[in-house]
Amino acid sequence: MAVEHQATSLFAGYPVAPGTFDELVDARGDIRPAFQRALSALGATSPEGFARFQSLAERSLLNQGVTFSVYADARGTEKIFPFCLVPRMVSAHDWAHVERGLEQRVRALGLFLDDVYGEGRILEDKPVLRELVLGAKQFLPTLRGVRPAGGVRIHIAGIDLIRDPDGVFRVLEDNLRTPSGVSYVLENRIVTKRVLPQAFEEARVHPVDHYPARLSGVLRAVSPSTTDYTNAVVLTPGPYNSAYFEHSFLARTMGLELVQPADLFVDDDKVFLRTTRGPRRIHVIYRRIDDAFLDPDAFRPDSVLGVRGLVRAYAAGNVALANALGNGVADDKAVYAFVPDMIRFYLSEEPILDQVHTFVCARKDDARYVLEHLDRLVVKSVDEAGGYGMLMGPTASSEEREAFRRRIEAEPRRFIAQERIELSTCPTWDGKTLSLVPRRVDLRPYVLTSPSGPWVLPGGLSRVALVPGSYIVNSSQGGGSKDTWVQKAPADSGRTA
Amino acid sequence: MIARVADHCFWLGRYLERVDSTARVLHVTLNLALDAELSPRQCWQPVIVVAGEREPFAKAHGEDAAKDGELVQRYMTWDESNHASLVRSIAAARDNARAIREVVSLEVWETINELHLWVKSPAAAEEYAESRWSFYRAIRQRAELCRGLFQSTMLHDDPLDFIWLGAMLERTGQTARIVDVHHHAVTLLSSDSEVVETSLWLSLLRSCSGFEPFMKRHQGRVTGRAVAAFLLLEPSFPRSVRYSVGEARARLEAIRPPSHHDLPGGRALLRLGALDAWMHELNPETLNPLHDLATRIVNDAAEVCVEIGRELLGYQVS
Repeated sequence: MAVEHQATSLFAGYPVAPGTFDELVDARGDIRPAFQRALSALGATSPEGFARFQSLAERSLLNQGVTFSVYADARGTEKIFPFCLVPRMVSAHDWAHVERGLEQRVRALGLFLDDVYGEGRILEDKPVLRELVLGAKQFLPTLRGVRPAGGVRIHIAGIDLIRDPDGVFRVLEDNLRTPSGVSYVLENRIVTKRVLPQAFEEARVHPVDHYPARLSGVLRAVSPSTTDYTNAVVLTPGPYNSAYFEHSFLARTMGLELVQPADLFVDDDKVFLRTTRGPRRIHVIYRRIDDAFLDPDAFRPDSVLGVRGLVRAYAAGNVALANALGNGVADDKAVYAFVPDMIRFYLSEEPILDQVHTFVCARKDDARYVLEHLDRLVVKSVDEAGGYGMLMGPTASSEEREAFRRRIEAEPRRFIAQERIELSTCPTWDGKTLSLVPRRVDLRPYVLTSPSGPWVLPGGLSRVALVPGSYIVNSSQGGGSKDTWVQKAPADSGRTA
Repeated sequence: MIARVADHCFWLGRYLERVDSTARVLHVTLNLALDAELSPRQCWQPVIVVAGEREPFAKAHGEDAAKDGELVQRYMTWDESNHASLVRSIAAARDNARAIREVVSLEVWETINELHLWVKSPAAAEEYAESRWSFYRAIRQRAELCRGLFQSTMLHDDPLDFIWLGAMLERTGQTARIVDVHHHAVTLLSSDSEVVETSLWLSLLRSCSGFEPFMKRHQGRVTGRAVAAFLLLEPSFPRSVRYSVGEARARLEAIRPPSHHDLPGGRALLRLGALDAWMHELNPETLNPLHDLATRIVNDAAEVCVEIGRELLGYQVS
């Protein structure tokens, strides 16, 4: 790597956005002490040199076909997920806190799901929650009393975190169905190591490439097979799905077969794969298809997707599904408000991670407050994802606010609202001005849970809003990503995660 | 393996073989047009015929167009409406590889993806405009690289067997068609223009990468009959029909062993076995009439593909 030591460091003159927390730089514009060593090589790079590295990285992603499909285009156009080579860093100290908090949260959410599909103890305790859960689209009453093979429900969780102006990590959202993005974490790392080997080495970063092996271990650990031999597969809707790259990435890196619904069939409540040598029994399915499309017999008779009879096989305990069916009731945006209560209820612990104060419109007082303060709140529909179905109160027009007012009044249960939080920023490469600019970021760490408990991948997907001033980090709406560098603690140089 | 995945493997093999073969034929014809005292139509018409594109090409550009070498090259290289063009075949190979991205190795995928990205790029158009020779060479080299990577970076089990089965059946048909298209020249043993014929035969050999191997077998004695016999029957030449059929049979037997009567694939194996046995009965003296032989090979190979589709790849055949 060409390092040119000159007065104009890459970070010099970086315009810290007022009123926000910057991940790499303090309020005076100096690199935070924990990251100085890691960023010295990078900071000494000239803008032209960095532009070259950035284009090398993009080229590498394109050649490898690290892309997502764009639905709007009938020809199935693929785009690379925009990538910024300037890493987002997390100190060892901050990470230790996040890691403990995530483990606690996912443990409580798992117990909540067990409870909701079992005795329903917490629902007796909290009538509002009872109403929310029983009324949720994602709640599947037919699965009451069904205990999934291996006992795990949230095998893979993606918990979205943001950082507020004080630098405090807060949970923004739980994704407990089919959270995506981990393939970009691993690919971003491969590219970063290729293009910035020296900076990477200096930074002493936790590795991430053991994730597929961990995941495959989790899948095997919940197999209903009584023999040593387990057949696990990854189930994808197919090449036109926007996350197809990830589906094939995971299958490839775990050495599992990537199957489509038509490749599977159910006989005698057991799942089989159609092969060139006849049917083969399948024990574990890492499914990347939503509940509603998994089995036309059970959910949507109009669906041409899905495997007929799969839910019966699942209920009979003959196949494990990761994630389990019905998890959507726990990552509902309204149920989110009750996660701290769950932690206290099931674990008798105080929540380690903060979350964002949430007004649940199903509560009358909350709904009144929300309707009176639409100009300062962010309103979200509980069952839409990807940044859709949102009202950004402070920047919305009065027509938009009125439209939301009517929607909330009609169906209060479907809406929640939160104070807008100034997301933290991270120095991000701007190819037009050849300089670093502050852009808002979030972080999606991944938590794997096996029968022996949760494990957090050190790092996660840092998504970045590439449009100046934007809060929207979703890839479907112009967001990009960064490699996330979790620093090793000074004492554990030899330790790997 | 999954029948759908086997299907993608089979077609990946076929399309890559087609890309290589088409690029080679264009490459060789370019050379032939410079050397041989042939009319432009005699040079370029076979390219269209071998690709099975005679009618659509004439329909789109007129009966007389085959004498326009530039047009033929453009049609066979860039034309999106021509399903046998290089851009279409490369895209089809890439689509199949992408659908089974978890089955092919990272190196294989990257090579196919890079070929696809390159042929779509301004750099490729520039190369085509400036150096036709290196353009076709670049495509062939990447296809060859891919073939090598199949062998050296993938498990030698079912997916590779299906890729290879597809490639060998495609090669069988291609070689037979190339020989057939030139059969009039090859069987026209007495001729006034020996130079023209020799260079035709040599181009025939080159379009199958068989020039040097042929010379090693025949020490420079080039006759039409010897060339045809070499391309159809030479057991140790990897692009001969006999070799390709034998190799396809070996792959199919690995996929569906002959003794496993309970497994699907029996009819395909029977048909392919019959073609292989017949290829072994042929000898250089029994190669007449060449056109009939070549036609039978092309048809038999196509029928084997139909059986494979029906029995192993999950096609619904009406």
